[in-house]
Amino acid sequence: MKLKNRSKAAIVLSILKYTVLGVGAIIMILPFFDMFIGALRTPAERLARPPIYWPKTPQWSNYQRVFTELPMLRWYLNSIVVTCAITFIQLLTSSMAGFALAKYDFKGKKLLFNSVLAAQMFPFFLFLIPLFFLMRFWPLAGGNNLFGLGGTGFLGTYTALIFPFMISWYGIFLMRQFMVSIPTELMEAARIDGASEFRIYTHIVLPLIKPALATLGIFIFIYHWNEFIWTMTITRTANDLQTLPVGIFLLRGAFQTAQTESLQQAALAVSVVPLIILFLALQRFYIRGLATSGIKG
Amino acid sequence: MDRVVKKRIVKRYQVTWLGFVLAFCLSLGFAQDLTLAAHYTAEQAAALEPCIAAYAQETGVNVAYQQISYGDYLQTILTARIGGQAPDIYHIYSIWAPQLVDNGVLDAPPDNTLSWIKDSYISNTVDAVTINGQVWGIPTEVSNYMLVYNKQLLAEAGFDAPPSTWTELLDMAAAITKRNDQGNITTAGYAYGSSTATVVHPFFTMLYSAGINPFKDDFSGTNLTSPEAIAVLEQQIELFKQGITDRSIEVWDFPSGSIAMMFMASWFEADLRAAFVDNFDDVVGVAPIPMGDDWRSLQYAFFYGVDANSPNKEAAWDFLEWLNTAQSEGQTSCMGTMLMDLGALTANKADIAAAQDNLGDSFTAPYVAALERSITEPNVIQASEIEGILKTYIERAWAGELTAEEALTQADKEITTILKEFY
Amino acid sequence: MTTESLQSSPSRRRRRLQQKDWAPYVFLAPMLFFLVVFFVLPIGFALYLTFTRWNPLSTPKWVGLRNYTYLLTSDPTFYLTLKNTFVFAFGTVLIGIPIALVIAFVFTLSRGKAFWRSIYWLPMVTNVVAIAFIWQIILDGTYGLLNQLLAFFGITGPQWLSDPKSAMIAVILVAIWTGLGQNMLLFSAGLEGIDESYYEAARIDGANTARIFWNITLPLLRPTLLFVSITSFIAGMGSFTLILVLTEGGPIQSTNVTALYMYQMAFQDLRMGRASAMAFILFIIIFIITLIQLRIFRRGGVEAY
Repeated sequence: MKLKNRSKAAIVLSILKYTVLGVGAIIMILPFFDMFIGALRTPAERLARPPIYWPKTPQWSNYQRVFTELPMLRWYLNSIVVTCAITFIQLLTSSMAGFALAKYDFKGKKLLFNSVLAAQMFPFFLFLIPLFFLMRFWPLAGGNNLFGLGGTGFLGTYTALIFPFMISWYGIFLMRQFMVSIPTELMEAARIDGASEFRIYTHIVLPLIKPALATLGIFIFIYHWNEFIWTMTITRTANDLQTLPVGIFLLRGAFQTAQTESLQQAALAVSVVPLIILFLALQRFYIRGLATSGIKG
Repeated sequence: MDRVVKKRIVKRYQVTWLGFVLAFCLSLGFAQDLTLAAHYTAEQAAALEPCIAAYAQETGVNVAYQQISYGDYLQTILTARIGGQAPDIYHIYSIWAPQLVDNGVLDAPPDNTLSWIKDSYISNTVDAVTINGQVWGIPTEVSNYMLVYNKQLLAEAGFDAPPSTWTELLDMAAAITKRNDQGNITTAGYAYGSSTATVVHPFFTMLYSAGINPFKDDFSGTNLTSPEAIAVLEQQIELFKQGITDRSIEVWDFPSGSIAMMFMASWFEADLRAAFVDNFDDVVGVAPIPMGDDWRSLQYAFFYGVDANSPNKEAAWDFLEWLNTAQSEGQTSCMGTMLMDLGALTANKADIAAAQDNLGDSFTAPYVAALERSITEPNVIQASEIEGILKTYIERAWAGELTAEEALTQADKEITTILKEFY
Repeated sequence: MTTESLQSSPSRRRRRLQQKDWAPYVFLAPMLFFLVVFFVLPIGFALYLTFTRWNPLSTPKWVGLRNYTYLLTSDPTFYLTLKNTFVFAFGTVLIGIPIALVIAFVFTLSRGKAFWRSIYWLPMVTNVVAIAFIWQIILDGTYGLLNQLLAFFGITGPQWLSDPKSAMIAVILVAIWTGLGQNMLLFSAGLEGIDESYYEAARIDGANTARIFWNITLPLLRPTLLFVSITSFIAGMGSFTLILVLTEGGPIQSTNVTALYMYQMAFQDLRMGRASAMAFILFIIIFIITLIQLRIFRRGGVEAY
């Protein structure tokens, strides 16, 4: 009797469970669905009142037009180059700094760690204007002399898009948290074997925190794939360096007529889908990292 | 940002990839003496290409075209100047000019160019490029506002002519507005937009028609608290009070046939033609601003200016004058040709005369005729900030949060603070 | 450490100790360089700007504290945007985090994890500009998908983005939708880290799922909860990209948050000095609130962070 009750409860529970997940999933998917359908409409279907939701003759050519009428491939290339470079650099710098903060005792350690914590609280806007000038007047870059005058600095180069994101305070903090739990004995043992500190970092620490690196790497990648304000500021005079979000943003207002709204939605779809596919394909590689690492306090 | 203007420019954002490459190669491949920065895409500016080539052959001066997106034009100029990459020639929206002039960015035209400008352009439009009595450049694309109405919707409601007064407009609009089961407007008698321009420009248009300038002549204050200005805003509020329109209704929906009337600039013609195709003449009507016989319109303009730091100022002015002058009898100038191709208006008298085929149709002709009575958008410093403030208070009055008088009094106070900073 | 190693050759040991002493600075070198050049220097410059009036076309003009007094005493919009900022940040945390938590909890108990995860992560890999454009269309009051669906169920939806009363709600909902996947990911990682034995013990005691969730899961999840809510809150206070694209702060300033106001002040109104001053005020507010949050959580027994 008791057993029966329990199984009944379990069934109710699992129905409830999947209802919650299912409804949530529909809410997650529906906007994308709306976008894909929207991209297939003709201007006349949009202009009808009420608008026709299901396109009678799907305009697949809208997807083609995205590539012929917009520099979509260029935006993609820029996004990939910049995001990959930043992800790689940040993983390196974060793990190095995190390692030092987690596993060494040295003067000023507490101060540095606290500044890492505090630095996270500074809104990026604060840096927008000064960083622009920094890129412009960087000494000995882009024709500049020793005092940063004469040329254009890093403006108009990928460096300007990457340089200010060399470090992630959040990344350093996260790495430090992960590395605190690495047993010190492992390092000591390596030292006894005559390993250099750098070798300890590359051969002991990095392999141990691979899952954490994967997790952080995904966060960095996603964040910078979507980064927009800085790239927008710095690529105003360099159309060739605009990334996907910037390129798409600069279309704002452009596609509000019925003639072009479908094209806008097609552009959105094209900007979104490849990344989704990439992440789905790579899922099994980074899930393990997430499962084993977790976010520990 | 001024969505009206922006939209027009960006809506033709059909930059082919090829165009990009071409422009890039052009800018690299040839030794160039002048750089011209404008918001037109390479495709839109295509008409200029043969002209630039011809000019190079004629004078040996090469000109490189640089496209900058409209929405970010002012910021791009800033960054370009900071970055030491400023072009020689700018193509500027008139309300940006006071700021640029105030900071010494623009060069005052030489005397011969100056008298040429005054002779060749409609004087109202020359006002658009005049700051403190000084003309700062050569006007190009102008836009003004008229009442655009849907003939079919008016006819269905039993009206065979557009309104000529605001009272008539209210009556007709009220008869046309329809709502669905949810209470949402599906057919609107009248429409505004949500951008600064689609809120503030119609308001200015009505102010001018009521014989009022938004600002005092010396920009020491505003005239927003005058009884006429308050009356104008109250007239607008009636549209919302009577449920004729609401904030979800946007002028951009006019092509769907769900909007009966709006104040709109001429550049919208292309969108309207694309939407109504063969029915265009049966549906779209253009009428004077319905504010009685003394109606006025608002116009805004773009103009060519020259960077004050450019080492080639003289060459730049020479080129610009050449570009805006017809090279053979009865033809439009290079710039005029380009504007005609875009479906835009020009204030160049010779170009208007030469382009009657283009400007004479039933939609465009009333706009061109109205240029003479179109007063320029005030060239006030911090124009976008000021118009943004005004927009917010107009919207609050529309929403019923404030009375017309309260809204305009508060707007006046804030705007006067800004004016005091600069004038 | 063994006695043997302590007795190993003194010279070798000294050299190793030396390396161990300077090694952390080498590892920290990129960060230190960055800290000085990309952090301290810019902040110093920005701080200087707060005491000036400056549009980037001219040179900065010293105005003392005028920017601060203007913002704090006479700017009619600043406090409004501050209120909006709080509504937005608290709204996304207070509504978003419980939803993410419930979804994550249900998720960890379900089969087909890879399938569900893929779906919930869709917004996470979508850029925010695209998200804003997509939702702009869905939230159209008369013909948008959302209100069409609501009408199907006999509900009259508001004019989401064009009515000042509902615009902020709409913006918060879109922000929650955008962040749900990431928060769920963090929570499910935290949930999977909870030892199964706690649950077994509870089940033996006859506790039901709701009870287990309330009495065991939540307390054990506290560090993750703390981490996620603080980082979401900080992000929420400073974020404006979504709003910039979705509503540009409108209608009638109803979604204008301080960071957006700051951005528009700097790049549309060209008031770099005043905008920088606002950035500093906002920073100080965020800083104080974060400290308070930490204190509360510490008192709640969480020593992390």
